[in-house]
Amino acid sequence: MTYPEALQELVEEFQAIEDKRERLEMLFELADEVVELPNDQWDDETRVRGCQSEAHVRIGITDGRIQFLSAADARMVQGLMGILTIALDGLTPAQAVLIPPTFAEEMGLLNTLTPSRSNGFRNMYDKVMTELRQNRGD
Amino acid sequence: MLRDQFPILQRKVNGHPLVYLDNAATTQKPQVVLDAMNDYYSKSNANVHRAVHTLAGEATEGYESCRSKLKQRYNADRAILTSGTTEAINLVAHAWGRAKLQSGDVIVLTEMEHHSDIVPWQMLSEERGVELRYVPVSQDFTLDMEAFEHALDGAALVCVVHTSNVLGVRNPLEEIIEKSQAVGARVLIDAAQGLPHSTVDFQSFGADFMAFSAHKMCGPTGIGALLVTQSAFDEMEPFMGGGDMIETVTIEGSTYQTNEHKFEAGTPRIAEAIGWTAALEWMETFDLENEHSRLIEIASWVAEELRGLGMNVYGRHGEHDAAVVSFLHPTINSEDMAHLLDARGFAVRTGHHCAQPLLHRLGISGTVRASFYVYNTREEAEALVDELRGIVEKFA
Repeated sequence: MTYPEALQELVEEFQAIEDKRERLEMLFELADEVVELPNDQWDDETRVRGCQSEAHVRIGITDGRIQFLSAADARMVQGLMGILTIALDGLTPAQAVLIPPTFAEEMGLLNTLTPSRSNGFRNMYDKVMTELRQNRGD
Repeated sequence: MLRDQFPILQRKVNGHPLVYLDNAATTQKPQVVLDAMNDYYSKSNANVHRAVHTLAGEATEGYESCRSKLKQRYNADRAILTSGTTEAINLVAHAWGRAKLQSGDVIVLTEMEHHSDIVPWQMLSEERGVELRYVPVSQDFTLDMEAFEHALDGAALVCVVHTSNVLGVRNPLEEIIEKSQAVGARVLIDAAQGLPHSTVDFQSFGADFMAFSAHKMCGPTGIGALLVTQSAFDEMEPFMGGGDMIETVTIEGSTYQTNEHKFEAGTPRIAEAIGWTAALEWMETFDLENEHSRLIEIASWVAEELRGLGMNVYGRHGEHDAAVVSFLHPTINSEDMAHLLDARGFAVRTGHHCAQPLLHRLGISGTVRASFYVYNTREEAEALVDELRGIVEKFA
Protein backbone atom coordinates (compact mmCIF):
# COMPACT_ATOMS: atom_id res chain seq x y z
CA MET A 1 0.00 0.00 0.00
CA THR A 2 1.03 3.62 -0.16
CA TYR A 3 1.70 5.45 3.08
CA PRO A 4 -0.21 8.50 4.27
CA GLU A 5 1.26 11.55 2.57
CA ALA A 6 3.13 12.92 5.62
CA LEU A 7 4.73 9.55 6.28
CA GLN A 8 5.68 9.11 2.61
CA GLU A 9 7.45 12.48 2.70
CA LEU A 10 9.38 11.43 5.79
CA VAL A 11 10.43 8.16 4.14
CA GLU A 12 11.80 10.12 1.19
CA GLU A 13 13.59 12.62 3.43
CA PHE A 14 15.37 9.85 5.33
CA GLN A 15 16.26 8.08 2.10
CA ALA A 16 18.00 11.22 0.88
CA ILE A 17 20.41 11.23 3.85
CA GLU A 18 23.50 9.07 3.44
CA ASP A 19 25.35 9.90 6.64
CA LYS A 20 24.25 7.85 9.61
CA ARG A 21 24.92 10.66 12.08
CA GLU A 22 22.69 13.01 10.08
CA ARG A 23 19.93 10.37 9.99
CA LEU A 24 20.20 10.06 13.75
CA GLU A 25 20.06 13.80 14.23
CA MET A 26 16.93 14.00 12.07
CA LEU A 27 15.41 11.19 14.11
CA PHE A 28 16.26 13.11 17.30
CA GLU A 29 14.50 16.18 15.92
CA LEU A 30 11.34 14.17 15.27
CA ALA A 31 11.18 13.51 19.02
CA ASP A 32 9.65 17.00 19.27
CA GLU A 33 6.58 15.76 17.33
CA VAL A 34 5.53 13.51 20.20
CA VAL A 35 2.35 14.32 22.13
CA GLU A 36 3.72 13.47 25.53
CA LEU A 37 2.21 10.83 27.76
CA PRO A 38 2.87 12.28 31.24
CA ASN A 39 5.20 10.30 33.45
CA ASP A 40 2.51 9.77 36.11
CA GLN A 41 0.42 7.87 33.54
CA TRP A 42 3.16 5.32 32.79
CA ASP A 43 2.19 1.84 33.90
CA ASP A 44 2.41 -1.78 32.78
CA GLU A 45 -0.47 -1.19 30.35
CA THR A 46 1.43 1.57 28.54
CA ARG A 47 4.92 0.03 28.65
CA VAL A 48 6.49 -1.12 25.38
CA ARG A 49 8.38 -4.31 26.06
CA GLY A 50 11.65 -5.19 24.37
CA CYS A 51 13.07 -1.68 24.59
CA GLN A 52 16.33 -1.19 26.47
CA SER A 53 15.00 2.07 27.87
CA GLU A 54 11.61 3.09 29.23
CA ALA A 55 9.05 3.54 26.44
CA HIS A 56 5.31 4.09 26.91
CA VAL A 57 2.42 4.58 24.48
CA ARG A 58 -1.31 5.16 24.80
CA ILE A 59 -3.94 5.38 22.08
CA GLY A 60 -6.85 7.74 22.50
CA ILE A 61 -9.76 8.19 20.07
CA THR A 62 -11.46 11.58 19.84
CA ASP A 63 -14.36 12.02 17.40
CA GLY A 64 -13.28 8.83 15.67
CA ARG A 65 -9.74 10.11 15.12
CA ILE A 66 -6.55 8.80 16.68
CA GLN A 67 -4.72 10.63 19.39
CA PHE A 68 -1.30 8.99 19.95
CA LEU A 69 0.40 9.76 23.25
CA SER A 70 3.88 8.50 23.94
CA ALA A 71 7.09 9.06 25.89
CA ALA A 72 10.54 7.52 26.26
CA ASP A 73 13.72 8.33 28.12
CA ALA A 74 15.90 7.95 25.03
CA ARG A 75 15.63 10.66 22.39
CA MET A 76 16.06 8.12 19.66
CA VAL A 77 13.05 6.14 20.83
CA GLN A 78 11.07 9.35 21.10
CA GLY A 79 12.08 10.06 17.52
CA LEU A 80 10.52 6.78 16.44
CA MET A 81 7.44 7.74 18.40
CA GLY A 82 7.47 11.10 16.62
CA ILE A 83 7.36 9.29 13.28
CA LEU A 84 4.39 7.23 14.44
CA THR A 85 2.71 10.41 15.68
CA ILE A 86 3.04 11.96 12.22
CA ALA A 87 1.94 8.72 10.56
CA LEU A 88 -1.17 8.30 12.68
CA ASP A 89 -2.22 11.93 13.04
CA GLY A 90 -5.83 12.50 12.02
CA LEU A 91 -6.42 8.94 10.81
CA THR A 92 -9.26 6.69 11.88
CA PRO A 93 -8.27 3.36 13.43
CA ALA A 94 -9.54 1.59 10.29
CA GLN A 95 -7.15 3.66 8.12
CA ALA A 96 -4.23 3.39 10.53
CA VAL A 97 -4.18 -0.39 10.78
CA LEU A 98 -3.45 -0.54 7.05
CA ILE A 99 -0.03 1.12 7.54
CA PRO A 100 2.63 -1.61 7.32
CA PRO A 101 5.75 -1.47 9.55
CA THR A 102 8.04 -1.40 6.51
CA PHE A 103 8.48 2.37 6.60
CA ALA A 104 11.17 2.14 9.32
CA GLU A 105 13.24 -0.14 7.12
CA GLU A 106 12.66 2.04 4.06
CA MET A 107 13.86 5.07 6.05
CA GLY A 108 17.13 3.23 6.73
CA LEU A 109 16.34 3.31 10.42
CA LEU A 110 16.57 -0.39 11.02
CA ASN A 111 20.17 -0.16 9.82
CA THR A 112 20.66 2.72 12.19
CA LEU A 113 19.17 0.86 15.09
CA THR A 114 20.58 -2.03 17.04
CA PRO A 115 18.74 -5.35 16.80
CA SER A 116 17.25 -4.87 20.26
CA ARG A 117 16.01 -1.45 19.23
CA SER A 118 14.64 -2.87 15.99
CA ASN A 119 12.72 -5.39 18.05
CA GLY A 120 11.67 -2.57 20.35
CA PHE A 121 10.35 -0.61 17.39
CA ARG A 122 8.47 -3.64 16.12
CA ASN A 123 7.05 -4.23 19.60
CA MET A 124 5.91 -0.61 19.74
CA TYR A 125 4.33 -0.84 16.28
CA ASP A 126 2.60 -4.13 17.16
CA LYS A 127 1.31 -2.74 20.46
CA VAL A 128 -0.11 0.34 18.76
CA MET A 129 -1.73 -1.68 15.98
CA THR A 130 -3.21 -4.19 18.43
CA GLU A 131 -4.80 -1.39 20.42
CA LEU A 132 -6.11 0.24 17.25
CA ARG A 133 -7.70 -3.03 16.14
CA GLN A 134 -9.35 -3.30 19.55
CA ASN A 135 -10.62 0.28 19.17
CA ARG A 136 -11.94 -0.60 15.74
CA GLY A 137 -13.80 -3.47 17.30
CA ASP A 138 -11.86 -6.30 15.57
CA MET B 1 52.98 -3.22 15.44
CA LEU B 2 50.73 -5.35 17.61
CA ARG B 3 47.62 -3.65 16.27
CA ASP B 4 48.44 -4.56 12.67
CA GLN B 5 47.87 -8.21 13.48
CA PHE B 6 44.10 -7.63 13.82
CA PRO B 7 42.51 -7.52 10.36
CA ILE B 8 39.17 -6.26 11.70
CA LEU B 9 40.79 -3.09 13.00
CA GLN B 10 41.42 -2.03 9.40
CA ARG B 11 37.73 -1.75 8.59
CA LYS B 12 35.56 1.32 8.55
CA VAL B 13 32.22 1.64 10.29
CA ASN B 14 29.71 4.13 8.97
CA GLY B 15 32.47 5.66 6.86
CA HIS B 16 34.84 6.15 9.81
CA PRO B 17 37.81 4.10 11.05
CA LEU B 18 36.62 1.56 13.61
CA VAL B 19 37.55 2.47 17.18
CA TYR B 20 36.72 -0.72 19.03
CA LEU B 21 36.14 -0.03 22.73
CA ASP B 22 33.83 -2.88 23.68
CA ASN B 23 36.58 -5.21 24.82
CA ALA B 24 34.98 -6.10 28.14
CA ALA B 25 32.22 -7.71 26.04
CA THR B 26 34.58 -9.46 23.65
CA THR B 27 38.00 -8.81 22.17
CA GLN B 28 39.09 -8.95 18.55
CA LYS B 29 41.17 -11.83 17.18
CA PRO B 30 44.70 -11.62 15.77
CA GLN B 31 45.49 -13.25 12.44
CA VAL B 32 47.30 -16.16 14.13
CA VAL B 33 44.05 -17.21 15.83
CA LEU B 34 42.07 -17.00 12.59
CA ASP B 35 44.80 -18.97 10.79
CA ALA B 36 44.94 -21.67 13.47
CA MET B 37 41.19 -22.29 13.27
CA ASN B 38 41.18 -22.17 9.49
CA ASP B 39 44.13 -24.59 9.34
CA TYR B 40 42.36 -27.03 11.61
CA TYR B 41 39.23 -27.08 9.45
CA SER B 42 41.27 -27.08 6.22
CA LYS B 43 43.77 -29.78 7.17
CA SER B 44 42.98 -31.70 10.35
CA ASN B 45 39.24 -31.70 10.97
CA ALA B 46 38.20 -34.87 12.81
CA ASN B 47 36.62 -35.86 16.08
CA VAL B 48 38.80 -36.25 19.15
CA HIS B 49 39.70 -39.06 21.55
CA ARG B 50 38.20 -41.87 19.44
CA ALA B 51 39.58 -42.95 16.11
CA VAL B 52 43.15 -44.05 15.41
CA HIS B 53 43.52 -42.31 12.06
CA THR B 54 45.98 -39.48 11.52
CA LEU B 55 43.45 -36.66 11.40
CA ALA B 56 41.85 -37.82 14.65
CA GLY B 57 45.27 -37.83 16.24
CA GLU B 58 46.00 -34.29 15.05
CA ALA B 59 42.60 -33.05 16.26
CA THR B 60 43.07 -34.70 19.65
CA GLU B 61 46.54 -33.26 19.98
CA GLY B 62 45.25 -29.82 19.05
CA TYR B 63 42.37 -29.98 21.52
CA GLU B 64 44.45 -31.33 24.39
CA SER B 65 47.22 -28.82 23.73
CA CYS B 66 44.78 -26.14 24.87
CA ARG B 67 44.34 -27.86 28.22
CA SER B 68 48.10 -28.33 28.57
CA LYS B 69 48.69 -24.69 27.75
CA LEU B 70 46.13 -23.55 30.34
CA LYS B 71 47.61 -25.79 33.03
CA GLN B 72 51.10 -24.55 32.26
CA ARG B 73 50.20 -20.85 31.98
CA TYR B 74 48.14 -20.77 35.17
CA ASN B 75 49.85 -23.61 37.08
CA ALA B 76 46.59 -25.49 37.61
CA ASP B 77 45.92 -29.10 38.67
CA ARG B 78 42.85 -29.40 36.51
CA ALA B 79 41.52 -27.43 33.55
CA ILE B 80 38.03 -28.38 32.35
CA LEU B 81 37.17 -26.91 28.96
CA THR B 82 33.69 -25.36 28.87
CA SER B 83 31.74 -23.09 26.54
CA GLY B 84 32.84 -20.09 28.58
CA THR B 85 32.67 -18.52 32.02
CA THR B 86 28.91 -18.98 32.33
CA GLU B 87 29.05 -22.71 31.67
CA ALA B 88 32.07 -23.03 33.97
CA ILE B 89 30.15 -21.48 36.87
CA ASN B 90 27.06 -23.54 36.10
CA LEU B 91 29.30 -26.60 36.08
CA VAL B 92 30.43 -25.82 39.63
CA ALA B 93 26.81 -25.25 40.68
CA HIS B 94 25.79 -28.64 39.26
CA ALA B 95 28.83 -30.86 39.66
CA TRP B 96 30.08 -29.55 43.00
CA GLY B 97 27.12 -27.61 44.44
CA ARG B 98 24.54 -30.32 43.99
CA ALA B 99 26.97 -32.95 45.32
CA LYS B 100 28.07 -31.01 48.39
CA LEU B 101 25.44 -28.45 49.40
CA GLN B 102 22.12 -28.95 51.10
CA SER B 103 19.40 -26.96 52.81
CA GLY B 104 20.81 -24.47 55.29
CA ASP B 105 24.28 -24.29 53.72
CA VAL B 106 25.50 -20.79 52.93
CA ILE B 107 26.90 -19.33 49.70
CA VAL B 108 28.43 -15.86 49.88
CA LEU B 109 28.12 -13.74 46.72
CA THR B 110 28.68 -10.06 46.12
CA GLU B 111 26.53 -7.34 44.59
CA MET B 112 29.33 -6.83 42.08
CA GLU B 113 28.77 -10.19 40.37
CA HIS B 114 27.84 -10.64 36.75
CA HIS B 115 24.47 -12.37 36.34
CA SER B 116 26.35 -15.55 35.40
CA ASP B 117 27.66 -15.71 38.97
CA ILE B 118 24.26 -14.98 40.53
CA VAL B 119 21.59 -16.86 38.60
CA PRO B 120 23.12 -20.38 38.85
CA TRP B 121 23.26 -19.94 42.64
CA GLN B 122 19.71 -18.63 42.83
CA MET B 123 18.57 -21.71 40.91
CA LEU B 124 20.50 -23.94 43.32
CA SER B 125 19.05 -22.03 46.25
CA GLU B 126 15.50 -22.57 44.99
CA GLU B 127 16.16 -26.25 44.41
CA ARG B 128 18.07 -27.05 47.59
CA GLY B 129 17.19 -24.33 50.09
CA VAL B 130 20.75 -23.05 50.17
CA GLU B 131 21.07 -19.60 51.74
CA LEU B 132 22.58 -16.82 49.60
CA ARG B 133 24.26 -13.83 51.23
CA TYR B 134 25.27 -10.81 49.16
CA VAL B 135 28.18 -8.60 50.15
CA PRO B 136 27.26 -4.97 49.40
CA VAL B 137 29.29 -2.53 47.30
CA SER B 138 30.28 0.72 48.98
CA GLN B 139 30.04 4.22 47.52
CA ASP B 140 33.75 4.10 46.65
CA PHE B 141 32.98 1.18 44.28
CA THR B 142 34.69 -1.43 46.47
CA LEU B 143 33.27 -4.37 48.40
CA ASP B 144 32.24 -3.74 51.98
CA MET B 145 34.84 -6.00 53.55
CA GLU B 146 33.39 -5.69 57.03
CA ALA B 147 30.08 -7.02 55.69
CA PHE B 148 32.02 -9.73 53.88
CA GLU B 149 33.53 -10.94 57.15
CA HIS B 150 30.11 -11.08 58.77
CA ALA B 151 28.68 -12.94 55.78
CA LEU B 152 31.41 -15.59 56.03
CA ASP B 153 29.97 -17.09 59.20
CA GLY B 154 29.13 -20.70 58.33
CA ALA B 155 29.81 -20.25 54.60
CA ALA B 156 30.45 -23.35 52.48
CA LEU B 157 31.24 -21.47 49.26
CA VAL B 158 32.33 -17.93 48.43
CA CYS B 159 31.82 -16.71 44.85
CA VAL B 160 33.45 -13.46 43.89
CA VAL B 161 34.23 -11.63 40.70
CA HIS B 162 37.94 -11.04 40.08
CA THR B 163 37.36 -7.71 38.35
CA SER B 164 34.03 -5.96 37.83
CA ASN B 165 32.90 -5.77 34.21
CA VAL B 166 31.11 -2.49 34.96
CA LEU B 167 33.57 -0.70 37.23
CA GLY B 168 36.87 -2.31 36.30
CA VAL B 169 37.55 -2.61 40.03
CA ARG B 170 39.76 -5.56 40.97
CA ASN B 171 38.64 -7.05 44.24
CA PRO B 172 41.02 -7.85 47.14
CA LEU B 173 41.08 -11.51 46.14
CA GLU B 174 44.04 -12.51 48.30
CA GLU B 175 42.28 -11.24 51.44
CA ILE B 176 38.95 -12.77 50.38
CA ILE B 177 40.55 -16.17 49.74
CA GLU B 178 42.52 -16.13 52.99
CA LYS B 179 39.46 -15.27 55.09
CA SER B 180 37.26 -17.76 53.26
CA GLN B 181 39.78 -20.54 53.77
CA ALA B 182 39.93 -19.66 57.47
CA VAL B 183 36.25 -20.62 57.80
CA GLY B 184 36.65 -23.69 55.60
CA ALA B 185 34.73 -22.32 52.62
CA ARG B 186 35.58 -23.21 49.04
CA VAL B 187 36.22 -20.18 46.79
CA LEU B 188 35.13 -19.62 43.20
CA ILE B 189 36.62 -16.70 41.28
CA ASP B 190 34.83 -15.36 38.19
CA ALA B 191 37.94 -14.27 36.33
CA ALA B 192 36.33 -13.41 32.98
CA GLN B 193 37.50 -9.80 33.23
CA GLY B 194 40.59 -10.46 35.32
CA LEU B 195 42.70 -12.92 33.37
CA PRO B 196 42.70 -10.91 30.13
CA HIS B 197 44.60 -8.22 32.03
CA SER B 198 46.82 -10.23 34.36
CA THR B 199 47.98 -13.75 34.95
CA VAL B 200 47.81 -15.90 38.05
CA ASP B 201 49.53 -18.84 39.69
CA PHE B 202 46.38 -20.80 40.45
CA GLN B 203 47.93 -23.25 42.91
CA SER B 204 49.50 -20.62 45.12
CA PHE B 205 46.54 -18.25 44.70
CA GLY B 206 44.41 -20.47 46.92
CA ALA B 207 41.03 -20.39 45.14
CA ASP B 208 39.33 -23.73 44.44
CA PHE B 209 37.61 -22.79 41.18
CA MET B 210 38.44 -20.15 38.59
CA ALA B 211 36.20 -19.55 35.58
CA PHE B 212 37.09 -17.54 32.47
CA SER B 213 36.51 -17.21 28.73
CA ALA B 214 38.78 -17.29 25.70
CA HIS B 215 37.00 -14.58 23.77
CA LYS B 216 37.91 -11.85 26.23
CA MET B 217 41.60 -12.54 25.66
CA CYS B 218 41.77 -12.57 21.84
CA GLY B 219 40.61 -16.20 21.56
CA PRO B 220 37.44 -17.50 19.90
CA THR B 221 33.92 -17.31 21.31
CA GLY B 222 32.33 -20.55 22.52
CA ILE B 223 35.17 -21.78 24.71
CA GLY B 224 36.38 -21.12 28.22
CA ALA B 225 37.73 -23.02 31.16
CA LEU B 226 37.24 -23.93 34.76
CA LEU B 227 40.49 -24.31 36.69
CA VAL B 228 39.98 -26.59 39.69
CA THR B 229 42.20 -27.76 42.54
CA GLN B 230 42.59 -31.53 42.77
CA SER B 231 40.77 -31.67 46.11
CA ALA B 232 37.74 -29.77 44.79
CA PHE B 233 37.87 -31.79 41.56
CA ASP B 234 37.61 -34.99 43.62
CA GLU B 235 34.35 -33.71 45.13
CA MET B 236 32.69 -33.05 41.77
CA GLU B 237 30.09 -35.47 40.41
CA PRO B 238 29.37 -35.81 36.67
CA PHE B 239 26.92 -33.21 35.39
CA MET B 240 26.20 -33.78 31.71
CA GLY B 241 26.05 -37.40 30.59
CA GLY B 242 27.01 -38.62 27.14
CA GLY B 243 29.87 -39.73 24.97
CA ASP B 244 33.50 -39.13 25.88
CA MET B 245 32.80 -38.70 29.61
CA ILE B 246 32.34 -42.42 30.25
CA GLU B 247 34.69 -45.30 30.80
CA THR B 248 32.20 -48.11 30.21
CA VAL B 249 28.49 -48.21 29.46
CA THR B 250 26.31 -51.28 29.92
CA ILE B 251 22.56 -51.54 30.17
CA GLU B 252 23.03 -51.93 33.91
CA GLY B 253 24.85 -48.63 34.22
CA SER B 254 27.94 -46.61 33.38
CA THR B 255 31.31 -45.80 34.85
CA TYR B 256 33.00 -42.48 34.24
CA GLN B 257 36.33 -41.08 33.21
CA THR B 258 38.43 -39.88 36.11
CA ASN B 259 40.10 -36.93 34.40
CA GLU B 260 38.62 -33.67 33.01
CA HIS B 261 36.84 -35.61 30.25
CA LYS B 262 34.31 -36.62 32.90
CA PHE B 263 32.93 -33.08 32.58
CA GLU B 264 33.24 -32.68 28.82
CA ALA B 265 30.46 -34.90 27.45
CA GLY B 266 29.95 -34.98 23.70
CA THR B 267 32.09 -33.66 20.87
CA PRO B 268 33.98 -30.73 22.33
CA ARG B 269 34.90 -27.36 20.83
CA ILE B 270 37.91 -28.52 18.90
CA ALA B 271 38.53 -25.61 16.54
CA GLU B 272 37.89 -23.18 19.38
CA ALA B 273 40.40 -24.95 21.62
CA ILE B 274 42.99 -24.77 18.86
CA GLY B 275 42.20 -21.09 18.32
CA TRP B 276 42.50 -20.40 22.05
CA THR B 277 45.89 -22.11 22.20
CA ALA B 278 47.06 -19.82 19.40
CA ALA B 279 45.72 -16.81 21.33
CA LEU B 280 47.46 -17.87 24.54
CA GLU B 281 50.73 -18.36 22.68
CA TRP B 282 50.27 -15.00 20.99
CA MET B 283 49.76 -13.32 24.37
CA GLU B 284 53.22 -14.53 25.35
CA THR B 285 54.78 -12.44 22.58
CA PHE B 286 54.41 -9.24 24.61
CA ASP B 287 54.56 -8.16 28.24
CA LEU B 288 50.98 -8.25 29.51
CA GLU B 289 51.88 -6.37 32.67
CA ASN B 290 53.37 -3.48 30.68
CA GLU B 291 50.35 -3.42 28.39
CA HIS B 292 48.05 -3.35 31.39
CA SER B 293 49.92 -0.40 32.89
CA ARG B 294 49.64 1.47 29.59
CA LEU B 295 45.92 0.75 29.31
CA ILE B 296 45.02 1.70 32.88
CA GLU B 297 46.88 4.97 32.36
CA ILE B 298 44.76 5.61 29.25
CA ALA B 299 41.54 4.65 31.07
CA SER B 300 42.42 6.86 34.01
CA TRP B 301 43.08 9.78 31.66
CA VAL B 302 39.77 9.21 29.83
CA ALA B 303 37.89 9.05 33.15
CA GLU B 304 39.37 12.37 34.23
CA GLU B 305 38.57 14.02 30.90
CA LEU B 306 34.98 12.77 31.01
CA ARG B 307 34.53 14.15 34.53
CA GLY B 308 35.68 17.44 33.05
CA LEU B 309 32.88 17.15 30.47
CA GLY B 310 30.33 16.83 33.27
CA MET B 311 29.99 13.05 33.10
CA ASN B 312 29.48 10.85 36.14
CA VAL B 313 32.23 8.21 36.02
CA TYR B 314 31.83 4.92 37.89
CA GLY B 315 35.07 3.28 38.99
CA ARG B 316 38.37 4.24 40.57
CA HIS B 317 40.93 3.18 37.89
CA GLY B 318 43.57 2.00 40.31
CA GLU B 319 46.82 0.34 39.33
CA HIS B 320 45.40 -3.19 39.23
CA ASP B 321 41.92 -2.36 37.94
CA ALA B 322 40.82 -3.14 34.39
CA ALA B 323 40.87 -0.42 31.73
CA VAL B 324 37.11 0.07 31.80
CA VAL B 325 35.43 3.47 31.89
CA SER B 326 31.72 3.44 32.73
CA PHE B 327 30.03 6.79 32.52
CA LEU B 328 26.76 8.67 32.23
CA HIS B 329 25.91 12.21 31.23
CA PRO B 330 23.31 13.92 33.42
CA THR B 331 21.06 14.86 30.47
CA ILE B 332 22.08 12.81 27.43
CA ASN B 333 20.55 9.34 27.38
CA SER B 334 23.17 6.59 27.36
CA GLU B 335 21.71 4.80 24.36
CA ASP B 336 21.50 8.02 22.39
CA MET B 337 25.14 8.62 23.28
CA ALA B 338 26.18 5.16 22.07
CA HIS B 339 24.29 5.56 18.78
CA LEU B 340 25.89 8.93 18.16
CA LEU B 341 29.32 7.39 18.83
CA ASP B 342 28.58 4.43 16.55
CA ALA B 343 27.72 6.84 13.75
CA ARG B 344 31.36 7.99 13.95
CA GLY B 345 32.85 4.48 14.17
CA PHE B 346 33.20 4.10 17.95
CA ALA B 347 32.01 0.77 19.38
CA VAL B 348 31.02 1.11 23.05
CA ARG B 349 28.55 -0.78 25.20
CA THR B 350 25.43 0.52 26.90
CA GLY B 351 22.93 -1.00 29.27
CA HIS B 352 23.11 -2.91 32.52
CA HIS B 353 26.12 -5.04 31.48
CA CYS B 354 24.45 -8.12 32.99
CA ALA B 355 25.09 -6.74 36.47
CA GLN B 356 21.72 -5.37 37.53
CA PRO B 357 22.21 -5.76 41.32
CA LEU B 358 25.36 -3.61 41.11
CA LEU B 359 23.62 -0.92 39.07
CA HIS B 360 20.71 -1.00 41.48
CA ARG B 361 23.15 -0.37 44.32
CA LEU B 362 24.63 2.55 42.36
CA GLY B 363 21.11 3.90 41.78
CA ILE B 364 21.30 3.77 37.98
CA SER B 365 19.83 1.52 35.31
CA GLY B 366 22.79 1.44 32.93
CA THR B 367 25.98 3.13 31.81
CA VAL B 368 27.94 3.78 28.66
CA ARG B 369 31.08 1.67 28.90
CA ALA B 370 34.33 2.11 26.99
CA SER B 371 36.74 -0.76 27.63
CA PHE B 372 40.29 -0.84 26.30
CA TYR B 373 42.53 -3.72 25.30
CA VAL B 374 46.04 -4.34 24.08
CA TYR B 375 45.51 -3.02 20.52
CA ASN B 376 43.90 0.25 21.62
CA THR B 377 45.98 3.40 21.36
CA ARG B 378 46.21 6.71 23.17
CA GLU B 379 45.10 8.35 19.90
CA GLU B 380 41.87 6.36 19.93
CA ALA B 381 41.22 7.44 23.52
CA GLU B 382 41.82 11.06 22.54
CA ALA B 383 39.46 10.68 19.57
CA LEU B 384 36.79 9.27 21.91
CA VAL B 385 37.10 12.20 24.27
CA ASP B 386 36.97 14.66 21.35
CA GLU B 387 33.87 12.99 19.96
CA LEU B 388 32.17 13.00 23.36
CA ARG B 389 33.05 16.67 23.81
CA GLY B 390 31.31 17.41 20.51
CA ILE B 391 28.25 15.37 21.51
CA VAL B 392 27.98 17.15 24.86
CA GLU B 393 28.33 20.56 23.22
CA LYS B 394 25.60 19.77 20.70
CA PHE B 395 23.11 17.66 22.63
CA ALA B 396 23.42 18.48 26.35
